[in-house]
Amino acid sequence: MSTADDLDITADDVDHIDWRLWSRIARRAFRFRSAVVQLIAGGIGIAAIEGVRPLINAALLDEVASNGITSRVGWLATAWIGLAVLFCGGVFAFIEAAGRLATGLGFELRQAAFGRLQELPFAYFDRRPVGWLLSRLTSDCTRVSSIAPWVILDIFWAAALMTASITAMFWMRPALALLVLTTVPVLLVTSFLFTRVMVHTARRARRLNSAITATFAESIAGMRTTKTLVREERALGEFCGQTAEMKLWSTRNALQGAIYTPVVSTVAAIGVALAASAGGGMIGAGDLTAGELIAFCQYALLFMYPAQDLAQRFADLLSAQAAAERVQALIDTDAEIRDSDAVRARIEEQRTDPKPGVAEDGGPLQPGRITFDRVRFWYLEGEPVINDLSFVVEPGQTIALVGPTGGGKTTIASLLCRFYEPREGRVLLGGIDQRERSLSWIHSRLGVVQQTPWLFNDTIAANVRFGHLGASMEQLVSAAARVGADRFIDLLPDTWNFVVGEGGERLSQGQRQLISLARTVLRDPAIFIMDEATSSVDAETERAIQAAVEELLRGRISFIIAHRLSTVRRADRILFVADGRILEDGSHERLMSLANGHYRRLYLQQFEEERQASILES
Amino acid sequence: MSERAATSSPGAASRVRLLWARLGPERRLYLIGACAAVAAGIVAYGVPLGVQSAIAGAFEARAMRTPLVDAAVSSPTEADTVGVITEPERAAPTSTSARFALALIGGADAVARQPWRVGVLIAVSAALSGLLLWLKGWCVAHASQRAVRRLREEIYAHLQRLPASFFRRHESGDLLQRCTSDVDTVLSFMSSQVIEIVRSSSLLLAAIPLMLLTDVWMTLSSLVLIAPITWFGVVFFHRVRHRFLKKDEAEGALTARAQENLNGIRLVRAFDRGAFECERFRAANAKHRDLDRGLFRLFAIFWSASDFLCLIQLGIVIGLGLWRVADHSLSISDYAFFLVAVNLWLWPFRMMGRILADLGKATVSIDRLDQILREPEESAPTEPLPPPAEPLRGVVRFEHVTFRHEPKGALALDDVSFEVRAGETVALMGPSGAGKSTLIDLLLRLVDPDAGTIALDGVDISRLPRAWVRGRIASVLQQPFLFSRSIRENLVIASPQADEHSIHAAAADAALHTTIARFERGYETIVGERGITLSGGQRQRLAIARAILRDAPVLVLDDALSAVDNETEREIVGAIRSRHGRRTTIVIAHRVSTLTLADRVVVFERGRVVDVGTPEELRQRPGLFQRLWSVHAEVEREAGMGLAGDRSSNEAAEGETP
Repeated sequence: MSTADDLDITADDVDHIDWRLWSRIARRAFRFRSAVVQLIAGGIGIAAIEGVRPLINAALLDEVASNGITSRVGWLATAWIGLAVLFCGGVFAFIEAAGRLATGLGFELRQAAFGRLQELPFAYFDRRPVGWLLSRLTSDCTRVSSIAPWVILDIFWAAALMTASITAMFWMRPALALLVLTTVPVLLVTSFLFTRVMVHTARRARRLNSAITATFAESIAGMRTTKTLVREERALGEFCGQTAEMKLWSTRNALQGAIYTPVVSTVAAIGVALAASAGGGMIGAGDLTAGELIAFCQYALLFMYPAQDLAQRFADLLSAQAAAERVQALIDTDAEIRDSDAVRARIEEQRTDPKPGVAEDGGPLQPGRITFDRVRFWYLEGEPVINDLSFVVEPGQTIALVGPTGGGKTTIASLLCRFYEPREGRVLLGGIDQRERSLSWIHSRLGVVQQTPWLFNDTIAANVRFGHLGASMEQLVSAAARVGADRFIDLLPDTWNFVVGEGGERLSQGQRQLISLARTVLRDPAIFIMDEATSSVDAETERAIQAAVEELLRGRISFIIAHRLSTVRRADRILFVADGRILEDGSHERLMSLANGHYRRLYLQQFEEERQASILES
Repeated sequence: MSERAATSSPGAASRVRLLWARLGPERRLYLIGACAAVAAGIVAYGVPLGVQSAIAGAFEARAMRTPLVDAAVSSPTEADTVGVITEPERAAPTSTSARFALALIGGADAVARQPWRVGVLIAVSAALSGLLLWLKGWCVAHASQRAVRRLREEIYAHLQRLPASFFRRHESGDLLQRCTSDVDTVLSFMSSQVIEIVRSSSLLLAAIPLMLLTDVWMTLSSLVLIAPITWFGVVFFHRVRHRFLKKDEAEGALTARAQENLNGIRLVRAFDRGAFECERFRAANAKHRDLDRGLFRLFAIFWSASDFLCLIQLGIVIGLGLWRVADHSLSISDYAFFLVAVNLWLWPFRMMGRILADLGKATVSIDRLDQILREPEESAPTEPLPPPAEPLRGVVRFEHVTFRHEPKGALALDDVSFEVRAGETVALMGPSGAGKSTLIDLLLRLVDPDAGTIALDGVDISRLPRAWVRGRIASVLQQPFLFSRSIRENLVIASPQADEHSIHAAAADAALHTTIARFERGYETIVGERGITLSGGQRQRLAIARAILRDAPVLVLDDALSAVDNETEREIVGAIRSRHGRRTTIVIAHRVSTLTLADRVVVFERGRVVDVGTPEELRQRPGLFQRLWSVHAEVEREAGMGLAGDRSSNEAAEGETP
């Protein structure tokens, strides 16, 4: 119930770069070796060409100025054109490589995170809304993977470009080079200072932007409530507070940017001014050629870009760090419920040396009798949900779990499915502790039907086949027939190829229930667990569902979190669960004979509601 | 403005006008910003002019020294490096721009003697240009942020005032998208795109006269590829638009896949389908990756091709320039000017095509926003009446009320008339779809009747301000909405002056106080999206407490206790009835046990009132109520003293269905 720790990694206010985190991400990125090599080669290549081009320009001018169009000019022109073509090739190469790296890394991160989510215990999901998890898989992964190639590229590109330019300048005129280079530290420091400040304002603005989105969403969803509370004007007032703050911070960010760019370009121009003043004098004195002067001016301007880009990448790392941390934390989360080493060893043994008549983990094929042995369970420390619960269920029995909401019925079912493990006590299947069996065996013996059955936005066939992936069409049809789902399926526009829509929205509640029952029949589980729907369906569907459930109960252990009297009455045993304890245990007749019994009270109440509902709807 | 060029589809012109109108009072700031951008573009050419005059000045200095050099020394090294260079420089005529630049900093002689003068020209013009750029940035930042803030507030205010029917007609996802990403598109247009176009074009436009003053043929040669470069960008991004859409769709599909998995995670786990799901996710993930990679390839092609075009353009300038220098028809200083100047405006122009191609998006977005803003707000009464004297007595009378949801649809309410007396508790019952909730919507003026009137203390509410009416009726809707705030804030949201005592009392009346007390953070617990999820019954009880706290003359509960168990429902209704200074209460309910607590019951069927009477009266005559009553009585008999007896020990017994 309470907020999970990592929900609060909005520790967005990072000030320093977590190099350990980023080096882990980098290691993952470097697995895309050919892309990284191409990226770095492209970056260094174009940096070298950019560094050399002013030299060629200078040589061309000086040669033409002194000797006219000579063969040397021809060679230099050819080199210029050749480098231009190479340059474009380099640009293509590094962007293409960046694409492979960014998309590949995004793919891997997403796949790793998704895979991990498939293993994590339910406790993990209880505390994290789906929307939150979804942002980890989508925006966070995208954010991290999309900056990765540019950070790598710019480090190498900037280093290479600076090295090439500095070398070229020193090679021409060391003294003039030193003069021009005085601007470089200023450029670097200015860029880093500004981007650092701008990261903060940008972050504030981004956070306010999501707050504004949330306010819009809330105002749309809660419009009627707002109107009836006559809150329109006050809500508007609060919203204006948000937009005012948003304006404040985004304006601040934009103003910082408005100072930053001119400052950097002015500093770079001062480098040009130094080169032109000193160089002009040197030409006058005959110590420099015009071509060289132009080259120096171009180099002075060139330094602006690596300085700005490096600073930008630094800012990118800072602002994506929270996202990286969250993704990495998800991937690193330990799946608490998993097969023990001993179980895994037995699975391996069975795989290499299969013995007949046993399950994949070497245990018996059928679960046999189910025993809850002094089970205690809590989601949160100090708030017990199941208290010292013990009971035994024999093969073939149908158990109805009844009792108030929050009393522990669903938790009992979840413990049986090993979605959670008892904090104390044991759950035994055929006398063997659940933890001594493999998870996948347990799950393969289960058939679960939820209160609001979840259907995938896919065809009916695909949804039913989810119960048994290798099932043939005949098997699907027969499973549907057994629960009576075939009648409505045959009437659908595309019959078995009908796409059910998001969550099954194109089907009625009852039809969804029948599909999920067909899916479970196809699975042929040894243990059938059903959370019966509370919302009523029309009488005919109700009868159809009853018949389908009847079909499923036969010959299995069944646990039904029961809401309908017909189901409850049919159960072999009724467990009345409240406060994590079994308060009453017995057949319908026996429990009804208890004057003032919990079950009796509940039954009569439900009886009245069902009757009244049927009167109102008749 | 230049965006006009990019929008050719019919109606585009009016959409551009819409965008222009949105700028409103900020137009002046924008104009100042645009002027500053143009001025910055002009001043920026101080840098190439400076380089040009540095060389020109240097040759002037050489020229002054040349006779000396020629006479005194004629060492071969000297001739190699400098001597010969003087020739073309002297041979070519000095261009107007060079003379202008030199004149600016004190003439050729002064520059020759004091080369630092060019440095001053370069540094000062760069600084001045920077200052103007900052001014531009300042104007645009303020103007765009102000305009967007106003736009946001206008939309939000308008949404608040739109009738409830508007939200029935429109999908909330689409509305939200308009309020957020369409606004962002408009912002990016206002804050960067417009000004980028002004800047890029002013850099080019400022360069042209200066270049013409330097050399006409060189100028022409430097402009040869400008049109193709721009055209290439526009066409390229126009052509690949659908690829972006496809990638967005794949991203949507990927998100949907993940969402489906997470929502159905229990099913996936129970069926042991983790590996299968990973494979399915991999397919969506891979599709997205491949499309995204394809986009990167497109960008790679675009950038390398446009770089290539730019380099060809540069090559043409260099080639012609060198040929002219060799020809003695262009001075080295003028050549230097071109080399630096062309680099100044050429590269920004690569982005023009992209920006122009994107401009259409902003006009589409502003149109989508305008569609919302054009929707009529909730109407005010045309012939207002003075509201009844307060405190209200709370008499509610429905007279011949008739209503249809759709203009030609079936009657939702058909000639409904009855009165609720001051302080009376009236229960509305009947099958779902009988019109009970519609009647409440009418009373709250969320919708207006087609015929008939509803009067509060004798005054027709359609002639009173809607807010006034709603302010006098505390209501709990069928699906109450909780704000994503603390429980306390949700309670006091409509009655900010409530004190601690009345908050707790209201929560206790709604049978919620003990539940809240058990939360770790009590009344400060955050609920909704970013907090804990309350059960259906808890949500309903919170909404009831919120309504009780408002202490309005009329209280309306629209099936507001459906997820609360029988006994809690009775407790709550009992508590409401026994509050001091009994309020007029209208309650929609289904359970007989609750209905019997009402003073009178109104029975609805198919939009009509079929019976009205006290529970006692209705029990005596055949009808819906009597049939429900008989079931109830039967159960009561069966239970004996059971139901009236002890309650289960656990308080959490809400939604107690077996």
